[in-house]
Amino acid sequence: MAERETKLVREAQAGSHEALSALYDAHWTKAHRAAYLVVHDGAAAEDIAQDAFLAAVDALDRFDRRRPFGPWLHRIVVNRAIDWSRREALRRGTGDEIEPEAPPPTEQLGADVMAALAQLPAEQRAVVVLRYLLDYTPGETARMLGLPRGTVNSRLRRALDRLGTLLEREVLR
Amino acid sequence: MKEQRLRELLQEAPLPAAEEAERRGRRMVEAAFAARRSPHRRAAPHRLALALAAATLILAVVLSPAGATVRDWIDETLGVGVRDAEPALTEIPGGGRLLVSSPQGAWLVRADGSRRLLGAYEEATWSPRGLFVAAASGHTLSAVAPDGTVRWSLSAPGEVGQPRWSPSGERIAYRSGKTLRVVAGDGSGDGIDHPLLDDRVGAVAPAWVPGGPHLLAYLDAGNEIRVVDADTGEVVGSGDALPGTRALAWAPDRSQLLEVARGSLWIRRIAAGKVALRVDVGPAQRLSVPAAGRFHDAAFSPDGEAVAALRSLPGARGRPPRSELVLLDLNGGSSRVLFRGPGRLSGLAWSPDGERLLISWPDADQWLFIPADGRGRVRAIGGVSAEFSPGAAPGTGWFPRLDGWCCY
Repeated sequence: MAERETKLVREAQAGSHEALSALYDAHWTKAHRAAYLVVHDGAAAEDIAQDAFLAAVDALDRFDRRRPFGPWLHRIVVNRAIDWSRREALRRGTGDEIEPEAPPPTEQLGADVMAALAQLPAEQRAVVVLRYLLDYTPGETARMLGLPRGTVNSRLRRALDRLGTLLEREVLR
Repeated sequence: MKEQRLRELLQEAPLPAAEEAERRGRRMVEAAFAARRSPHRRAAPHRLALALAAATLILAVVLSPAGATVRDWIDETLGVGVRDAEPALTEIPGGGRLLVSSPQGAWLVRADGSRRLLGAYEEATWSPRGLFVAAASGHTLSAVAPDGTVRWSLSAPGEVGQPRWSPSGERIAYRSGKTLRVVAGDGSGDGIDHPLLDDRVGAVAPAWVPGGPHLLAYLDAGNEIRVVDADTGEVVGSGDALPGTRALAWAPDRSQLLEVARGSLWIRRIAAGKVALRVDVGPAQRLSVPAAGRFHDAAFSPDGEAVAALRSLPGARGRPPRSELVLLDLNGGSSRVLFRGPGRLSGLAWSPDGERLLISWPDADQWLFIPADGRGRVRAIGGVSAEFSPGAAPGTGWFPRLDGWCCY
Protein backbone atom coordinates (compact mmCIF):
# COMPACT_ATOMS: atom_id res chain seq x y z
CA MET A 1 0.00 0.00 0.00
CA ALA A 2 2.73 2.43 1.05
CA GLU A 3 4.84 1.42 -1.94
CA ARG A 4 1.91 1.93 -4.27
CA GLU A 5 1.30 5.36 -2.83
CA THR A 6 4.94 6.33 -3.17
CA LYS A 7 4.77 5.22 -6.77
CA LEU A 8 1.64 7.30 -7.35
CA VAL A 9 3.25 10.38 -5.82
CA ARG A 10 6.33 9.88 -7.99
CA GLU A 11 4.21 9.52 -11.09
CA ALA A 12 2.09 12.53 -10.18
CA GLN A 13 5.25 14.57 -9.68
CA ALA A 14 6.21 13.50 -13.19
CA GLY A 15 2.90 14.83 -14.45
CA SER A 16 0.65 11.78 -14.56
CA HIS A 17 -3.00 12.75 -14.37
CA GLU A 18 -3.90 9.12 -13.76
CA ALA A 19 -1.66 9.00 -10.71
CA LEU A 20 -3.15 12.19 -9.34
CA SER A 21 -6.60 10.81 -9.94
CA ALA A 22 -5.69 7.62 -8.12
CA LEU A 23 -4.41 9.61 -5.14
CA TYR A 24 -7.62 11.60 -5.14
CA ASP A 25 -9.69 8.40 -5.27
CA ALA A 26 -7.70 6.93 -2.42
CA HIS A 27 -7.97 9.89 -0.09
CA TRP A 28 -10.87 12.21 -0.92
CA THR A 29 -13.63 10.30 0.80
CA LYS A 30 -11.81 9.96 4.09
CA ALA A 31 -10.47 13.50 3.99
CA HIS A 32 -13.95 14.88 3.34
CA ARG A 33 -15.52 12.64 5.96
CA ALA A 34 -12.86 13.55 8.51
CA ALA A 35 -13.43 17.25 7.92
CA TYR A 36 -17.18 16.85 8.17
CA LEU A 37 -17.02 14.84 11.38
CA VAL A 38 -15.00 17.63 12.97
CA VAL A 39 -16.83 20.69 11.62
CA HIS A 40 -20.37 19.30 11.05
CA ASP A 41 -20.88 21.76 8.23
CA GLY A 42 -21.17 20.45 4.70
CA ALA A 43 -19.85 23.51 2.90
CA ALA A 44 -16.96 24.01 5.29
CA ALA A 45 -16.00 20.34 5.15
CA GLU A 46 -15.94 20.44 1.38
CA ASP A 47 -13.83 23.59 1.41
CA ILE A 48 -11.39 22.14 3.90
CA ALA A 49 -10.95 18.89 2.00
CA GLN A 50 -10.63 20.77 -1.27
CA ASP A 51 -8.11 23.23 0.20
CA ALA A 52 -6.04 20.35 1.50
CA PHE A 53 -5.90 18.70 -1.91
CA LEU A 54 -5.09 21.98 -3.61
CA ALA A 55 -2.30 22.51 -1.08
CA ALA A 56 -1.09 19.02 -1.93
CA VAL A 57 -1.06 19.81 -5.64
CA ASP A 58 0.73 23.07 -4.93
CA ALA A 59 3.38 21.32 -2.84
CA LEU A 60 3.67 18.25 -5.00
CA ASP A 61 7.06 19.15 -6.47
CA ARG A 62 8.52 19.62 -3.02
CA PHE A 63 6.91 16.59 -1.45
CA ASP A 64 9.33 14.16 0.18
CA ARG A 65 8.41 10.77 -1.27
CA ARG A 66 9.85 8.99 1.77
CA ARG A 67 6.94 10.37 3.77
CA PRO A 68 3.50 8.83 3.45
CA PHE A 69 1.03 11.03 1.59
CA GLY A 70 -2.08 10.18 3.60
CA PRO A 71 -0.93 11.36 7.03
CA TRP A 72 0.40 14.55 5.52
CA LEU A 73 -2.96 15.27 3.92
CA HIS A 74 -4.91 14.24 7.00
CA ARG A 75 -2.86 16.50 9.21
CA ILE A 76 -3.77 19.49 7.05
CA VAL A 77 -7.43 18.48 6.99
CA VAL A 78 -7.82 17.92 10.70
CA ASN A 79 -5.85 20.95 11.81
CA ARG A 80 -7.82 23.19 9.46
CA ALA A 81 -11.05 21.64 10.66
CA ILE A 82 -10.09 22.36 14.27
CA ASP A 83 -9.21 25.96 13.36
CA TRP A 84 -12.52 26.37 11.56
CA SER A 85 -14.47 24.94 14.49
CA ARG A 86 -12.75 27.21 16.96
CA ARG A 87 -13.48 30.27 14.89
CA GLU A 88 -17.04 29.21 14.30
CA ALA A 89 -17.57 28.55 18.00
CA LEU A 90 -16.27 31.99 18.78
CA ARG A 91 -18.42 33.54 16.10
CA ARG A 92 -21.49 31.81 17.42
CA GLY A 93 -20.47 32.46 21.01
CA THR A 94 -21.73 29.08 21.99
CA GLY A 95 -18.60 27.41 23.25
CA ASP A 96 -17.82 24.35 21.21
CA GLU A 97 -21.32 23.07 20.78
CA ILE A 98 -22.45 23.02 17.19
CA GLU A 99 -25.68 22.24 15.49
CA PRO A 100 -25.21 19.38 13.05
CA GLU A 101 -26.86 19.70 9.69
CA ALA A 102 -29.98 17.64 9.28
CA PRO A 103 -29.01 14.13 8.15
CA PRO A 104 -30.99 12.08 5.68
CA PRO A 105 -33.99 10.74 7.63
CA THR A 106 -33.30 7.07 7.03
CA GLU A 107 -29.87 7.10 8.61
CA GLN A 108 -31.01 7.40 12.19
CA LEU A 109 -28.18 5.53 13.86
CA GLY A 110 -25.52 7.49 12.03
CA ALA A 111 -27.47 10.64 12.79
CA ASP A 112 -27.38 9.79 16.49
CA VAL A 113 -23.63 9.46 16.34
CA MET A 114 -23.34 12.74 14.48
CA ALA A 115 -25.49 14.49 17.03
CA ALA A 116 -23.48 13.01 19.90
CA LEU A 117 -20.20 13.90 18.24
CA ALA A 118 -21.41 17.46 17.82
CA GLN A 119 -21.67 17.75 21.57
CA LEU A 120 -17.92 17.26 21.97
CA PRO A 121 -15.35 20.04 21.81
CA ALA A 122 -13.58 20.27 18.44
CA GLU A 123 -10.32 19.01 19.93
CA GLN A 124 -12.03 15.83 21.14
CA ARG A 125 -13.83 15.35 17.85
CA ALA A 126 -10.49 15.60 16.07
CA VAL A 127 -8.80 12.87 18.11
CA VAL A 128 -11.84 10.61 17.72
CA VAL A 129 -11.74 11.10 13.97
CA LEU A 130 -8.00 10.50 13.75
CA ARG A 131 -8.22 7.39 15.91
CA TYR A 132 -11.43 5.73 14.79
CA LEU A 133 -11.99 6.98 11.26
CA LEU A 134 -8.44 7.34 10.02
CA ASP A 135 -6.94 4.63 12.26
CA TYR A 136 -3.96 6.50 13.61
CA THR A 137 -2.42 5.39 16.87
CA PRO A 138 -2.47 7.86 19.77
CA GLY A 139 1.25 8.42 19.18
CA GLU A 140 0.70 9.26 15.54
CA THR A 141 -2.26 11.45 16.44
CA ALA A 142 -0.14 13.30 18.98
CA ARG A 143 2.51 14.03 16.36
CA MET A 144 -0.06 15.19 13.83
CA LEU A 145 -1.68 17.59 16.25
CA GLY A 146 1.51 18.67 17.99
CA LEU A 147 0.27 17.42 21.35
CA PRO A 148 1.70 15.24 24.12
CA ARG A 149 0.58 11.66 23.81
CA GLY A 150 -0.98 11.79 27.26
CA THR A 151 -3.18 14.66 26.14
CA VAL A 152 -4.38 12.66 23.17
CA ASN A 153 -5.14 9.67 25.39
CA SER A 154 -7.06 11.75 27.89
CA ARG A 155 -9.04 13.48 25.14
CA LEU A 156 -9.90 10.11 23.66
CA ARG A 157 -11.00 8.78 27.01
CA ARG A 158 -13.17 11.78 27.75
CA ALA A 159 -14.63 11.69 24.26
CA LEU A 160 -15.52 8.01 24.50
CA ASP A 161 -17.03 8.46 27.95
CA ARG A 162 -19.13 11.34 26.71
CA LEU A 163 -20.20 9.55 23.56
CA GLY A 164 -21.12 6.51 25.62
CA THR A 165 -23.28 8.64 27.86
CA LEU A 166 -24.92 10.50 25.01
CA LEU A 167 -25.67 7.38 23.06
CA GLU A 168 -26.82 5.57 26.20
CA ARG A 169 -24.34 2.83 25.45
CA GLU A 170 -26.61 0.60 23.45
CA VAL A 171 -25.64 2.27 20.21
CA LEU A 172 -22.02 1.41 20.82
CA ARG A 173 -22.57 -2.22 21.80
CA MET B 1 -16.06 -4.14 20.55
CA LYS B 2 -17.36 -0.71 21.47
CA GLU B 3 -14.51 0.91 19.62
CA GLN B 4 -15.08 -1.25 16.58
CA ARG B 5 -18.73 -0.21 16.56
CA LEU B 6 -17.71 3.42 16.74
CA ARG B 7 -15.40 2.86 13.77
CA GLU B 8 -18.27 1.44 11.78
CA LEU B 9 -20.61 4.24 12.70
CA LEU B 10 -18.09 6.91 11.78
CA GLN B 11 -17.56 5.23 8.43
CA GLU B 12 -21.29 5.02 7.83
CA ALA B 13 -22.49 8.34 9.23
CA PRO B 14 -24.30 10.21 6.44
CA LEU B 15 -22.58 13.14 4.76
CA PRO B 16 -24.66 15.77 2.98
CA ALA B 17 -24.23 15.84 -0.80
CA ALA B 18 -21.10 13.72 -0.64
CA GLU B 19 -21.11 12.75 -4.29
CA GLU B 20 -21.50 16.30 -5.52
CA ALA B 21 -18.71 17.43 -3.21
CA GLU B 22 -16.49 14.67 -4.54
CA ARG B 23 -17.18 15.71 -8.13
CA ARG B 24 -16.58 19.40 -7.43
CA GLY B 25 -13.38 18.60 -5.59
CA ARG B 26 -12.15 16.40 -8.40
CA ARG B 27 -12.77 19.13 -10.98
CA MET B 28 -10.88 21.68 -8.93
CA VAL B 29 -7.97 19.38 -8.14
CA GLU B 30 -7.57 18.10 -11.68
CA ALA B 31 -7.75 21.61 -13.07
CA ALA B 32 -5.20 22.80 -10.52
CA PHE B 33 -2.97 19.92 -11.48
CA ALA B 34 -3.28 20.79 -15.14
CA ALA B 35 -2.48 24.42 -14.37
CA ARG B 36 0.54 23.29 -12.34
CA ARG B 37 2.16 21.99 -15.48
CA SER B 38 1.83 25.32 -17.24
CA PRO B 39 5.21 26.96 -17.92
CA HIS B 40 3.77 30.13 -16.36
CA ARG B 41 2.85 28.42 -13.14
CA ARG B 42 5.74 29.78 -11.10
CA ALA B 43 4.75 33.34 -11.83
CA ALA B 44 1.06 32.73 -11.31
CA PRO B 45 0.43 29.97 -8.74
CA HIS B 46 -3.30 30.64 -8.62
CA ARG B 47 -3.73 30.59 -12.34
CA LEU B 48 -6.53 28.09 -12.21
CA ALA B 49 -8.71 30.17 -9.93
CA LEU B 50 -8.00 33.29 -11.88
CA ALA B 51 -8.56 31.63 -15.20
CA LEU B 52 -11.88 30.40 -13.90
CA ALA B 53 -12.57 33.92 -12.75
CA ALA B 54 -11.84 35.16 -16.22
CA ALA B 55 -14.16 32.57 -17.73
CA THR B 56 -16.88 33.51 -15.29
CA LEU B 57 -16.43 37.17 -15.98
CA ILE B 58 -16.66 36.63 -19.69
CA LEU B 59 -19.78 34.60 -19.14
CA ALA B 60 -21.14 37.41 -17.04
CA VAL B 61 -20.67 39.80 -19.93
CA VAL B 62 -22.75 37.53 -22.09
CA LEU B 63 -25.44 36.53 -19.66
CA SER B 64 -25.82 39.23 -17.09
CA PRO B 65 -27.89 42.38 -17.44
CA ALA B 66 -25.03 44.02 -15.65
CA GLY B 67 -22.72 42.90 -18.45
CA ALA B 68 -21.98 46.40 -19.59
CA THR B 69 -20.72 47.27 -16.16
CA VAL B 70 -18.64 44.14 -16.02
CA ARG B 71 -17.20 44.88 -19.43
CA ASP B 72 -16.02 48.26 -18.21
CA TRP B 73 -13.53 46.72 -15.87
CA ILE B 74 -12.96 43.20 -17.15
CA ASP B 75 -9.66 44.10 -18.81
CA GLU B 76 -8.50 45.84 -15.69
CA THR B 77 -9.36 42.87 -13.55
CA LEU B 78 -7.74 40.37 -15.84
CA GLY B 79 -4.68 42.55 -16.10
CA VAL B 80 -4.31 42.97 -12.36
CA GLY B 81 -5.74 39.71 -11.14
CA VAL B 82 -4.30 37.30 -13.61
CA ARG B 83 -1.12 38.76 -14.93
CA ASP B 84 -0.06 41.42 -12.51
CA ALA B 85 -1.23 40.64 -9.00
CA GLU B 86 1.16 42.41 -6.71
CA PRO B 87 3.21 39.85 -4.79
CA ALA B 88 2.94 41.73 -1.49
CA LEU B 89 1.12 44.65 0.03
CA THR B 90 3.44 47.64 -0.24
CA GLU B 91 0.76 50.24 0.40
CA ILE B 92 -2.91 50.32 1.19
CA PRO B 93 -4.63 51.83 -1.84
CA GLY B 94 -6.35 54.96 -0.61
CA GLY B 95 -4.51 54.84 2.72
CA GLY B 96 -5.75 54.06 6.20
CA ARG B 97 -4.91 51.05 8.33
CA LEU B 98 -6.21 47.50 8.38
CA LEU B 99 -6.90 45.10 11.19
CA VAL B 100 -6.40 41.47 10.30
CA SER B 101 -6.67 38.24 12.28
CA SER B 102 -4.75 35.08 11.54
CA PRO B 103 -4.04 31.99 13.66
CA GLN B 104 -0.98 33.85 15.00
CA GLY B 105 -3.14 36.68 16.30
CA ALA B 106 -4.31 40.17 15.43
CA TRP B 107 -2.25 42.23 13.00
CA LEU B 108 -2.21 45.91 12.27
CA VAL B 109 -1.32 46.84 8.69
CA ARG B 110 -0.15 50.41 8.17
CA ALA B 111 -0.69 52.53 5.08
CA ASP B 112 2.77 51.63 3.78
CA GLY B 113 1.92 47.94 3.95
CA SER B 114 4.12 47.23 6.96
CA ARG B 115 2.45 45.08 9.56
CA ARG B 116 2.72 44.43 13.25
CA LEU B 117 1.49 41.47 15.22
CA LEU B 118 -0.41 43.04 18.09
CA GLY B 119 -0.62 39.83 20.09
CA ALA B 120 -2.22 36.43 20.25
CA TYR B 121 -5.79 37.68 19.91
CA GLU B 122 -8.55 35.87 18.13
CA GLU B 123 -10.57 38.90 17.10
CA ALA B 124 -10.08 42.64 17.12
CA THR B 125 -11.95 45.83 16.32
CA TRP B 126 -10.97 49.45 15.92
CA SER B 127 -11.86 52.24 18.27
CA PRO B 128 -13.74 54.94 16.32
CA ARG B 129 -10.67 57.03 15.53
CA GLY B 130 -8.25 54.14 15.33
CA LEU B 131 -6.33 55.14 18.45
CA PHE B 132 -6.86 51.74 20.05
CA VAL B 133 -7.95 48.25 19.27
CA ALA B 134 -10.31 46.14 21.38
CA ALA B 135 -9.04 42.58 21.19
CA ALA B 136 -10.44 39.29 22.42
CA SER B 137 -8.52 36.24 23.51
CA GLY B 138 -10.05 33.41 25.48
CA HIS B 139 -11.89 34.92 28.43
CA THR B 140 -10.04 38.23 28.16
CA LEU B 141 -10.96 41.52 26.53
CA SER B 142 -8.10 43.99 26.12
CA ALA B 143 -7.64 47.52 24.86
CA VAL B 144 -4.43 47.62 22.89
CA ALA B 145 -2.51 50.55 21.45
CA PRO B 146 -1.37 50.32 17.82
CA ASP B 147 2.17 49.54 19.01
CA GLY B 148 0.85 46.46 20.79
CA THR B 149 0.91 47.91 24.32
CA VAL B 150 -1.97 46.57 26.38
CA ARG B 151 -3.72 49.50 28.08
CA TRP B 152 -6.13 47.45 30.09
CA SER B 153 -7.64 43.99 30.22
CA LEU B 154 -10.61 42.41 31.88
CA SER B 155 -11.56 38.83 32.48
CA ALA B 156 -15.03 37.67 31.53
CA PRO B 157 -16.92 34.61 32.67
CA GLY B 158 -17.18 33.15 29.15
CA GLU B 159 -15.20 33.18 25.92
CA VAL B 160 -14.98 36.76 24.69
CA GLY B 161 -15.88 37.57 21.11
CA GLN B 162 -17.36 40.14 18.76
CA PRO B 163 -16.02 43.23 20.53
CA ARG B 164 -17.54 46.41 19.10
CA TRP B 165 -16.39 49.88 20.10
CA SER B 166 -19.15 52.49 20.28
CA PRO B 167 -18.96 55.48 17.92
CA SER B 168 -18.37 57.76 20.91
CA GLY B 169 -15.38 55.69 21.98
CA GLU B 170 -16.83 55.51 25.49
CA ARG B 171 -18.24 51.97 25.44
CA ILE B 172 -17.24 48.55 24.18
CA ALA B 173 -19.88 45.87 23.72
CA TYR B 174 -18.75 42.27 23.62
CA ARG B 175 -20.00 38.73 23.91
CA SER B 176 -18.95 36.58 26.81
CA GLY B 177 -20.13 33.06 26.12
CA LYS B 178 -23.80 33.44 25.34
CA THR B 179 -24.14 36.77 27.11
CA LEU B 180 -23.85 40.33 25.83
CA ARG B 181 -21.92 42.73 28.04
CA VAL B 182 -20.65 46.30 27.94
CA VAL B 183 -17.66 48.03 29.49
CA ALA B 184 -16.49 51.64 29.44
CA GLY B 185 -13.81 52.48 26.92
CA ASP B 186 -11.29 52.92 29.72
CA GLY B 187 -12.02 49.45 31.05
CA SER B 188 -14.06 50.70 34.00
CA GLY B 189 -17.73 50.37 34.74
CA ASP B 190 -18.21 54.12 35.02
CA GLY B 191 -21.61 55.30 33.87
CA ILE B 192 -22.91 51.79 33.26
CA ASP B 193 -25.76 50.53 35.41
CA HIS B 194 -25.89 47.00 34.04
CA PRO B 195 -22.75 45.60 32.43
CA LEU B 196 -24.71 42.47 31.57
CA LEU B 197 -27.05 43.59 28.78
CA ASP B 198 -28.55 40.19 28.00
CA ASP B 199 -27.87 36.74 29.41
CA ARG B 200 -28.58 34.86 26.19
CA VAL B 201 -28.10 36.32 22.76
CA GLY B 202 -27.94 35.05 19.19
CA ALA B 203 -24.78 34.54 17.17
CA VAL B 204 -25.02 37.84 15.27
CA ALA B 205 -22.54 40.56 16.21
CA PRO B 206 -24.09 43.58 17.94
CA ALA B 207 -24.17 46.90 16.12
CA TRP B 208 -23.95 50.33 17.78
CA VAL B 209 -26.41 52.99 16.71
CA PRO B 210 -24.33 55.83 15.20
CA GLY B 211 -24.19 59.07 17.17
CA GLY B 212 -26.25 60.09 20.17
CA PRO B 213 -26.67 57.99 23.31
CA HIS B 214 -25.12 54.58 23.70
CA LEU B 215 -27.72 52.50 21.91
CA LEU B 216 -26.85 49.02 20.77
CA ALA B 217 -28.80 46.71 18.44
CA TYR B 218 -28.46 42.97 18.81
CA LEU B 219 -30.30 39.73 18.21
CA ASP B 220 -31.51 37.93 21.28
CA ALA B 221 -31.78 34.16 21.61
CA GLY B 222 -35.41 34.33 20.48
CA ASN B 223 -34.41 35.92 17.15
CA GLU B 224 -35.75 39.32 18.15
CA ILE B 225 -33.92 42.50 17.26
CA ARG B 226 -33.48 44.56 20.38
CA VAL B 227 -32.16 48.06 20.78
CA VAL B 228 -30.83 48.58 24.27
CA ASP B 229 -29.56 51.64 26.08
CA ALA B 230 -26.14 50.35 27.09
CA ASP B 231 -25.88 52.79 29.97
CA THR B 232 -29.09 51.78 31.73
CA GLY B 233 -29.74 48.31 30.32
CA GLU B 234 -33.23 49.42 29.24
CA VAL B 235 -34.58 47.97 26.02
CA VAL B 236 -35.82 50.96 24.00
CA GLY B 237 -36.92 49.19 20.83
CA SER B 238 -37.52 45.74 19.41
CA GLY B 239 -38.89 43.80 16.47
CA ASP B 240 -38.87 40.26 15.12
CA ALA B 241 -35.81 39.50 13.03
CA LEU B 242 -36.06 37.62 9.77
CA PRO B 243 -35.18 33.93 9.78
CA GLY B 244 -31.52 33.31 9.16
CA THR B 245 -30.36 36.84 9.95
CA ARG B 246 -26.58 36.79 10.11
CA ALA B 247 -25.53 40.41 10.36
CA LEU B 248 -26.86 43.83 11.36
CA ALA B 249 -25.57 47.21 10.19
CA TRP B 250 -26.73 50.78 10.73
CA ALA B 251 -26.87 53.54 8.16
CA PRO B 252 -24.53 56.35 9.20
CA ASP B 253 -27.51 58.66 9.79
CA ARG B 254 -29.15 55.94 11.95
CA SER B 255 -32.34 56.12 9.94
CA GLN B 256 -32.06 52.58 8.59
CA LEU B 257 -31.05 49.20 9.91
CA LEU B 258 -29.74 46.63 7.45
CA GLU B 259 -30.46 42.96 8.07
CA VAL B 260 -28.39 40.44 6.18
CA ALA B 261 -30.46 37.30 5.90
CA ARG B 262 -29.32 34.16 4.18
CA GLY B 263 -30.87 34.74 0.80
CA SER B 264 -31.73 38.43 0.87
CA LEU B 265 -31.01 41.87 2.25
CA TRP B 266 -33.61 43.83 4.20
CA ILE B 267 -33.87 47.42 5.31
CA ARG B 268 -35.88 48.68 8.26
CA ARG B 269 -36.79 52.29 8.71
CA ILE B 270 -35.96 53.44 12.21
CA ALA B 271 -37.78 56.24 13.95
CA ALA B 272 -36.56 57.69 17.22
CA GLY B 273 -38.92 59.22 19.77
CA LYS B 274 -38.54 62.97 20.22
CA VAL B 275 -39.45 63.06 23.90
CA ALA B 276 -38.69 59.70 25.46
CA LEU B 277 -35.71 57.57 24.48
CA ARG B 278 -37.63 55.21 22.28
CA VAL B 279 -36.73 53.56 18.98
CA ASP B 280 -39.34 52.18 16.61
CA VAL B 281 -38.03 49.30 14.56
CA GLY B 282 -40.10 49.39 11.40
CA PRO B 283 -41.16 46.55 9.12
CA ALA B 284 -38.51 44.99 6.92
CA GLN B 285 -38.39 45.84 3.22
CA ARG B 286 -36.48 43.59 0.90
CA LEU B 287 -33.76 45.09 -1.24
CA SER B 288 -34.09 43.97 -4.81
CA VAL B 289 -31.10 41.99 -6.03
CA PRO B 290 -31.28 39.87 -9.20
CA ALA B 291 -30.68 36.11 -9.07
CA ALA B 292 -30.67 33.86 -6.06
CA GLY B 293 -27.65 33.58 -3.83
CA ARG B 294 -26.58 33.35 -0.24
CA PHE B 295 -25.47 36.58 1.40
CA HIS B 296 -22.57 36.49 3.79
CA ASP B 297 -21.89 40.09 4.61
CA ALA B 298 -23.01 43.59 3.75
CA ALA B 299 -22.12 47.11 4.80
CA PHE B 300 -23.38 50.62 4.23
CA SER B 301 -21.07 52.97 2.40
CA PRO B 302 -19.71 55.73 4.65
CA ASP B 303 -22.15 58.22 3.07
CA GLY B 304 -25.05 55.81 3.58
CA GLU B 305 -26.18 55.98 -0.02
CA ALA B 306 -25.18 52.46 -1.04
CA VAL B 307 -24.83 48.99 0.39
CA ALA B 308 -22.05 46.64 -0.64
CA ALA B 309 -22.77 42.94 -0.20
CA LEU B 310 -20.98 39.66 -0.69
CA ARG B 311 -22.90 36.63 -1.74
CA SER B 312 -22.22 33.16 -3.07
CA LEU B 313 -24.01 31.70 -6.05
CA PRO B 314 -24.48 28.00 -6.70
CA GLY B 315 -22.66 26.25 -9.50
CA ALA B 316 -24.67 25.58 -12.64
CA ARG B 317 -24.23 24.19 -16.11
CA GLY B 318 -20.71 22.99 -15.39
CA ARG B 319 -19.63 26.22 -13.74
CA PRO B 320 -18.21 26.02 -10.23
CA PRO B 321 -19.93 27.83 -7.37
CA ARG B 322 -18.93 31.47 -7.41
CA SER B 323 -19.24 34.60 -5.39
CA GLU B 324 -19.77 38.22 -6.17
CA LEU B 325 -19.51 41.67 -4.73
CA VAL B 326 -22.70 43.60 -5.40
CA LEU B 327 -23.27 47.31 -4.95
CA LEU B 328 -26.84 48.45 -4.33
CA ASP B 329 -27.74 52.06 -4.84
CA LEU B 330 -30.28 52.91 -2.13
CA ASN B 331 -31.47 56.01 -3.92
CA GLY B 332 -31.97 54.68 -7.43
CA GLY B 333 -32.68 51.11 -6.37
CA SER B 334 -30.28 49.68 -8.96
CA SER B 335 -27.64 47.09 -8.31
CA ARG B 336 -24.51 46.09 -10.13
CA VAL B 337 -21.84 43.47 -9.80
CA LEU B 338 -18.44 44.94 -8.99
CA PHE B 339 -16.62 41.63 -8.94
CA ARG B 340 -17.43 38.01 -9.55
CA GLY B 341 -15.20 34.98 -9.24
CA PRO B 342 -15.17 31.27 -8.50
CA GLY B 343 -15.05 30.08 -4.93
CA ARG B 344 -15.70 32.27 -1.93
CA LEU B 345 -15.30 35.95 -1.28
CA SER B 346 -15.24 37.23 2.26
CA GLY B 347 -14.12 40.06 4.48
CA LEU B 348 -15.88 43.07 3.07
CA ALA B 349 -14.64 46.50 4.17
CA TRP B 350 -15.19 50.02 2.87
CA SER B 351 -12.27 52.41 2.77
CA PRO B 352 -12.80 55.29 5.21
CA ASP B 353 -13.43 57.69 2.31
CA GLY B 354 -15.92 55.33 0.68
CA GLU B 355 -14.05 55.26 -2.61
CA ARG B 356 -12.87 51.65 -2.46
CA LEU B 357 -13.90 48.28 -1.20
CA LEU B 358 -11.55 45.64 0.08
CA ILE B 359 -12.60 42.03 -0.22
CA SER B 360 -10.79 38.80 0.48
CA TRP B 361 -10.58 36.07 -2.11
CA PRO B 362 -9.16 33.10 -0.21
CA ASP B 363 -9.32 30.75 -3.18
CA ALA B 364 -6.95 33.00 -5.08
CA ASP B 365 -4.99 33.89 -1.93
CA GLN B 366 -5.63 37.52 -2.79
CA TRP B 367 -7.00 40.73 -1.44
CA LEU B 368 -8.81 42.87 -3.98
CA PHE B 369 -9.06 46.64 -3.71
CA ILE B 370 -11.98 47.56 -5.91
CA PRO B 371 -13.08 51.08 -6.87
CA ALA B 372 -16.61 51.56 -5.58
CA ASP B 373 -17.65 53.40 -8.73
CA GLY B 374 -16.75 50.35 -10.83
CA ARG B 375 -14.17 52.27 -12.82
CA GLY B 376 -10.40 52.34 -12.59
CA ARG B 377 -7.96 49.67 -11.67
CA VAL B 378 -8.76 46.77 -9.42
CA ARG B 379 -5.64 46.17 -7.41
CA ALA B 380 -4.98 42.58 -6.42
CA ILE B 381 -2.50 41.62 -3.75
CA GLY B 382 -1.31 38.02 -3.90
CA GLY B 383 0.30 35.72 -1.37
CA VAL B 384 -1.82 37.08 1.46
CA SER B 385 -1.89 33.93 3.59
CA ALA B 386 1.90 33.65 3.67
CA GLU B 387 2.16 37.29 4.80
CA PHE B 388 0.17 36.51 7.91
CA SER B 389 1.36 32.95 8.53
CA PRO B 390 5.06 33.32 9.30
CA GLY B 391 6.75 29.97 9.62
CA ALA B 392 3.97 28.05 7.92
CA ALA B 393 4.98 25.59 5.22
CA PRO B 394 4.30 26.87 1.71
CA GLY B 395 0.71 26.35 0.73
CA THR B 396 -0.47 25.62 4.26
CA GLY B 397 -0.96 29.14 5.62
CA TRP B 398 -4.47 30.08 6.68
CA PHE B 399 -6.04 32.99 4.87
CA PRO B 400 -6.47 35.81 7.38
CA ARG B 401 -9.75 37.41 8.34
CA LEU B 402 -10.24 41.10 7.69
CA ASP B 403 -11.44 42.80 10.88
CA GLY B 404 -11.58 46.42 9.79
CA TRP B 405 -10.28 49.32 7.70
CA CYS B 406 -9.88 52.49 9.61
CA CYS B 407 -8.88 56.05 9.64
CA TYR B 408 -6.31 58.26 7.99
